[in-house]
Amino acid sequence: MAKKLSKILLYAIVTLGAITMLIPFLWMLSTSLKTAPETIKVPPIWIPKSLQWGNYIKAWSEAPFARYFVNSVVVTSVTTVGQLFTSILAAFAFARLKFFGKNLIFVIFLGTMMIPGEMLIIPNFVTLSKLGMIDHYAALIVPWLASFFTVFTLRQAFQSTPEQIYYAAKMDGATDWKYLWTVLVPMSKSTITAVTVLQVIGSWNAFMWPLIVTNTETMRTLPVGLQAFTTDAGTEYQLLMAASTFVIIPMVILYMFLQKYIIAGISKAGLKG
Amino acid sequence: MKVTFKDVTLSYDGKKDTLKHLNFEIPDGSLVSLLGPSGGGKTTTLNLISGLLPATKGQIFFGDDDVTKKDALARKVGMVFQNYALYPHLSVRDNIAFPLKMQKVKKAERYKRAEELAKLVHVDDQLDKKPGELSGGQQQRVAIARALAKSPSLLLLDEPLSNLDARLRIEMRQEIRRIQRETGVTTIFVTHDQDEALHISDNIMVLAHGTIQQFSTPTALYEEPSNLFVAKFIGEPVINTLPAEALKADLVASVPASILARAVTAGVRSEAIVPFDNGQGMVAAIHAGLRHAQKYGREATAELSYNGEVLLSTEMADLPQAQTEGDFFLTKAGFFLFDEAGALIFGGDSHDQ
Repeated sequence: MAKKLSKILLYAIVTLGAITMLIPFLWMLSTSLKTAPETIKVPPIWIPKSLQWGNYIKAWSEAPFARYFVNSVVVTSVTTVGQLFTSILAAFAFARLKFFGKNLIFVIFLGTMMIPGEMLIIPNFVTLSKLGMIDHYAALIVPWLASFFTVFTLRQAFQSTPEQIYYAAKMDGATDWKYLWTVLVPMSKSTITAVTVLQVIGSWNAFMWPLIVTNTETMRTLPVGLQAFTTDAGTEYQLLMAASTFVIIPMVILYMFLQKYIIAGISKAGLKG
Repeated sequence: MKVTFKDVTLSYDGKKDTLKHLNFEIPDGSLVSLLGPSGGGKTTTLNLISGLLPATKGQIFFGDDDVTKKDALARKVGMVFQNYALYPHLSVRDNIAFPLKMQKVKKAERYKRAEELAKLVHVDDQLDKKPGELSGGQQQRVAIARALAKSPSLLLLDEPLSNLDARLRIEMRQEIRRIQRETGVTTIFVTHDQDEALHISDNIMVLAHGTIQQFSTPTALYEEPSNLFVAKFIGEPVINTLPAEALKADLVASVPASILARAVTAGVRSEAIVPFDNGQGMVAAIHAGLRHAQKYGREATAELSYNGEVLLSTEMADLPQAQTEGDFFLTKAGFFLFDEAGALIFGGDSHDQ
């Protein structure tokens, strides 16, 4: 009886959590289908009188979203692939190789994780502007090609694979490079998938940095593009929400397909997103 | 491939001389066990042979080749690890073929070889499975096949049977012997289980405290242990040991006085204490108390009390249960005397010098 009761309680809490997470999304969907007056109506209405599908078409054509979309895809994919590559190499070095000062370097890198990202915005901006990268793809990509968070997570996963497999591979004639790509990476597939997805989502949703380093409209990414609906005359909520919906759809699809790996990878590596 | 160690010493992790002045020669085509207690240097010796650990001093030869400075890959050794270390994401076929893939052998050719090896180790019906779907014994077989794939100079096995249950162990040790005979590859096998070593080896190297205690055939190890450590380590039940002083009065007739004067410890195998003189050479007759102890299976043990010492004998099963004392004999085979340092000075073939 007590067991049943605690199960009911557990489900109640989980359901409450799920609803809390879902409400903003539902509100976004509902608002995207309202007319302008409906969006600011008090008390708020959840279901619009007639569904304004036209909002989506209007939102898409109001700003060059196709261009933003391309920019986002380019920045996200290059950042993710590049970051994954450098992180896998670094994580392998920290997990398996023996070199002078390894622990010291690791601790210093770990220390960089304690620095709030906001503190780095100005120095990074100055550096990039001196390099002449502002308002180019480079500014959106280069600073994110290394991530110690990813390195750290992968290192944990690599270290959890048996060391004897490393020795076995070496005896079988695999170089460190071969071992890394043909044995260690496939063995750590779930963690790699998890960090990849986290990175894709982070990159796709990034707002502050792209806003700061891009000026021209053709260099903007989707989240920055959403600003188009906020003008001096106020915010067109129904269009903003319609645009937000098509911005997050690729991420939702991605997550649905890879959900299994993401959860396995995250719980295995003991990391938080 | 013949393996020769010339005065090999290893010190690492700040500890001095983990292995001290190893000198030995493993003949080509033989199966040798490295046997000893944990921390005695077995696995370390294996790692020196494989090249996973570099020697601090001394030279290692494979045949006539000085391989001291070569790494594991260059030495071309095949190794089977205790936990098998199979690649979990690859099929059995790809696991076995992996070393050949690294050598850039063509796909058709390496799969053909993998299939031959799978047949040799009897896993040819498992080729498409992943290691995780196999039993411990099957994984072991795959690991052996993989180690053999590159036609290694040596096959090294690090406690390969310790993760298997008792019955499977016996089966697998016979399998290892069979595979070794069929391929003729020089095989070196680490174990802490004397039974395993005694059953499959051509030669056994007993390692303890970083030195070779004895390197000989299983029979010699048992019948002529070179020191007290080996005598105690090999044999089940454990050899009876007692101060030589307690026996001296009964030994004066059969042991030269000069040897007797140096003898500190006597070792008597439990089967060397017999109730009748069987005419095969007796070293002493003793009068002792008798207590029948346990009988299980075909084995019976009895405890003899003699000069305040308790001796275990396995030869008293035929005596009447009621008998509580008697005159017993110690056979020459299975009776040893050791000096103060523990070295054998009487017994085995070296007696009567």
